[in-house]
Amino acid sequence: MAAIFASRCSRVGRSLFGGLSNSSPGLFTTLHEMTCKNMFSQQQRTFIQMRTVLKVVDNSGAKKVMCIQALKGKKGARLGDTIIASVKEAHPNGKVKKGKVVYGVVVRAAMQKGRCDGSEVKFDDNAVVLVDKQGQPIGTRVFGPVPHELRQKKHVKILTLAGHIA
Amino acid sequence: MRLEKCWFCSSTTYPGHGIQFVRNDAKIFRFCRSKCHKNFKMKRNPRKVKWTKAYRRVHGKDMTQDSTFEFERKRNRPERYDRNLAENVLKAIPKIDKIRVAREEKHHKNRMKGKKQKLHMEAVRELEQGISLVKAPSVLQKDPFLTLPKIKVGVSQQQQSEENHPMEE
Repeated sequence: MAAIFASRCSRVGRSLFGGLSNSSPGLFTTLHEMTCKNMFSQQQRTFIQMRTVLKVVDNSGAKKVMCIQALKGKKGARLGDTIIASVKEAHPNGKVKKGKVVYGVVVRAAMQKGRCDGSEVKFDDNAVVLVDKQGQPIGTRVFGPVPHELRQKKHVKILTLAGHIA
Repeated sequence: MRLEKCWFCSSTTYPGHGIQFVRNDAKIFRFCRSKCHKNFKMKRNPRKVKWTKAYRRVHGKDMTQDSTFEFERKRNRPERYDRNLAENVLKAIPKIDKIRVAREEKHHKNRMKGKKQKLHMEAVRELEQGISLVKAPSVLQKDPFLTLPKIKVGVSQQQQSEENHPMEE
C-alpha cells in the first residue's frame, strides 16, 4: 500500500515539476522526498490488521511476525488482543522457525487504548508475545514495558515475566 | 484518586483526562491535553516554549525553591492509615495552599518592583524625543516649557585655533 502510494506521489511530482525547471531538478526531488517523509511520519496509528508486521519481544526465536488474522473485533486487534500470525524473520536456532503460523498476544500497540480510569495509553511500536493455543507464552522472557490491562485478559504469566509494567 | 503532572506544561491532570505515552525504555510521558501531546511529538523543548511552567521557572518568572513544594512531592511508598494523621493532613492542605499563594504574590511583587518607574522614564524619554509631534516648533520657540535645557560645552582656545587653520600635508 505504502509503496503504491509513494510511486503515485513520485509520478505526480514528476509530472508537476518536469516542465517547470530543467536547471534545478535536484531541488524538487528533495522537496518531494521531504513531504512524503513527513506524511508517513505523521500518519494516523490504526488497528493491527491483516499484513501488519509486528516485533516479537520474547525469546521464542522469532524476530518479526506478520498478522494474518485478528481473533477479536470487526476492524482489527488492539492492545491485549490475541492474533494469528506468520513468522517472517527468526533466529537460526530458536523454538519457532520461519513460515510457522503462531498465536500471539499484542503487548504494545501504537494506537491509543482507553483505560478504565478514562485516560488513554499508547506505546512506541507494535509488539507481540508468542503464545500457544492455551495462552501460555512460548518464551521464558519478555522484554520492554507491557500494560497492566493484560491481567484482565488473563495473561498473568506474561505480566510475571515482564520487566516493566506500565 | 491520584493527580498527575503533565510532562510538558506541568499542570495538574485529573483522572479521565489526557493521554499517556510509554516509550520503549519504559519511561512514561503523561500529557494533560492534545496541545501538549502535539508539542511533544513536534520535539519541542518545554523550557523554550513560553507558556509552560518549565519556561517560567527557568526565566525566573515563577518561584523555583520553596518549602511548600516539598508537601506536593510525589510519594510512591504508601503510608499506613492513621485517622489523626489523615485529619491533620486535610486541615493542613488549605493552609499550605494559602501560604503558597501568598508567597507567589510576594515573588511577583518583588519581580515587578521597578516596573512602574521604568515605564515612566521610558514615557518621559519618548516625549522628549517626539516633542515636535505634541507641540509645533514655532510654538516651542515662544513657550519653551517642554524643551530640554541646552547643555553648554566649553571649548579650549587650542581647539579653536586648530579649527581655524586648515591641515598641512
